[in-house]
Amino acid sequence: MATRAAAKKVHLFNISPAPGSLHHQKRVGRGQGSGYGGTSGRGHNGQKSRSGPGPKPGFEGGQTPITKLIPKRGFYNQNTKEYAAVNLDRLQYWVDQGRLVSTPEQPITARELLLSGCVHDVKDGIKILGDGKEFLRSRIHLVPSRASKSAIGAIERLGGTVYCKYYNPLSLRDCIDGRTDRIAAAPTRRKDIEWYTHWGNRGYISPRAIEKMPFVEERLKELSKEYTNFKSQPFATK
Amino acid sequence: MRRLRVVLQLKVFFKSCRTTSRSLSTVTATETSTSVLPPLGTGLSSPLTSPVYVTMSSLGSLVDKPVLSTDKAVQLDPHIFSHPIRRDILHLCVVHHLDSLRQGSANTKTRSEVRGSGRKIRPQKGSGRARLGDAQSPMLRGGGVAFGPKPRDFSTKLPRKVKEMGMRVALSAKLREHNLGVIKSLNWPGVKTGPLAKRISEVGWRKTLFVTGLDEVPEGLRRASSNIEKVEVVTAKDLNVYDAVKWPRVVLDLAAVEWLERKLGKKTVVDSF
Repeated sequence: MATRAAAKKVHLFNISPAPGSLHHQKRVGRGQGSGYGGTSGRGHNGQKSRSGPGPKPGFEGGQTPITKLIPKRGFYNQNTKEYAAVNLDRLQYWVDQGRLVSTPEQPITARELLLSGCVHDVKDGIKILGDGKEFLRSRIHLVPSRASKSAIGAIERLGGTVYCKYYNPLSLRDCIDGRTDRIAAAPTRRKDIEWYTHWGNRGYISPRAIEKMPFVEERLKELSKEYTNFKSQPFATK
Repeated sequence: MRRLRVVLQLKVFFKSCRTTSRSLSTVTATETSTSVLPPLGTGLSSPLTSPVYVTMSSLGSLVDKPVLSTDKAVQLDPHIFSHPIRRDILHLCVVHHLDSLRQGSANTKTRSEVRGSGRKIRPQKGSGRARLGDAQSPMLRGGGVAFGPKPRDFSTKLPRKVKEMGMRVALSAKLREHNLGVIKSLNWPGVKTGPLAKRISEVGWRKTLFVTGLDEVPEGLRRASSNIEKVEVVTAKDLNVYDAVKWPRVVLDLAAVEWLERKLGKKTVVDSF
């Protein structure tokens, strides 16, 4: 049964690499027989046959390069936030598989969505969208960065809860890591404050959300009052 | 958890022992009778594989005689000692080891390092000869070397698991060629070279690598064998694939068998806790 080769003893002189595993180096300028002698694969004369780095990358011989032909356009807004979208049908599928479990005291946050594989990259936060809301059957409790109106409606109709919380990059990282020693900063930009104090968005520092949420820090209650003060303050009139 | 090394008391049932003075006899599982069944879970990677056996040898002592094959057999893990032979893996391990041994100290002077000034040797035009700059150019006699060797590190990296497989293949090859022995312990009682050299010739164990599973080589054996060429003692920690292939015969002690089985055995999920 054993072939002749298999029966030979193993010595230092009869072990060889697996066929096809080694690729020998191309050595140029070592005679015509190698196929890379003479001009060593560089052809005859010209800039490319000379030693040195050659023309700079993107140089087109003097013709206006394509990177210069097309004009610059616009600007890049440093404040944009890209949210990782999660639709309701995907959430329902995860709940059915038992990969996501939520209670009002332990709602589904970015951490649970990432660890369960519902979302592969949290980006600047999670936004719950309403695609496939007819498939949502269970009562789920979520704390995302944002949620669309149709998603909020569908979840609440089934008895679930949605509260949208403001996350900056640090507090989002802490949420994902499960770190609770640091304080999650409140929004400072006007647009964010307006958004998160609005009950229509289910903002977490809107007065109604402060009443309804199960665990609310004292400072958030104070903040909510401060942020909504202006509504009852009269204008200064002479 | 420390598993007991199973050392079986054999009845005389191996048909042909090649007890020539040059080789050890080993018994594979196919030769044993079915009346001696190994207890499950002792030194085996998987309950589905059957172990491999080797008869225990003994070097004897200053007084006792040596015994090439005692009436005991040692149970070995087939994942380590009965591994399929992969010569290409051995090649990788051996080449990696030899690369690491290279001194890499070859050095040449480039045209910038050769002693000399930067003066232009002759004018650019007018002499009728080729144009030349300084006298250290590689075209000229006495000039620097173009692209010559420089001291460099020839060592390569090899995945740990490839090295482990190489060790398994090397040990399996040794066992298959009846060149692997197991001895109870390597605590040679003497210190003098003479008696040990005589004993080793008697047993026919010249050109042998002894491997101990302890942290250090036993002092007696180390001192007695240090001047005997063709005999070397090494710890299992320092054993490499190159030596396991190079030495014609490898003799392990029971502690070394334990050590190797722990290091090279199949890692199960339970082991990682």
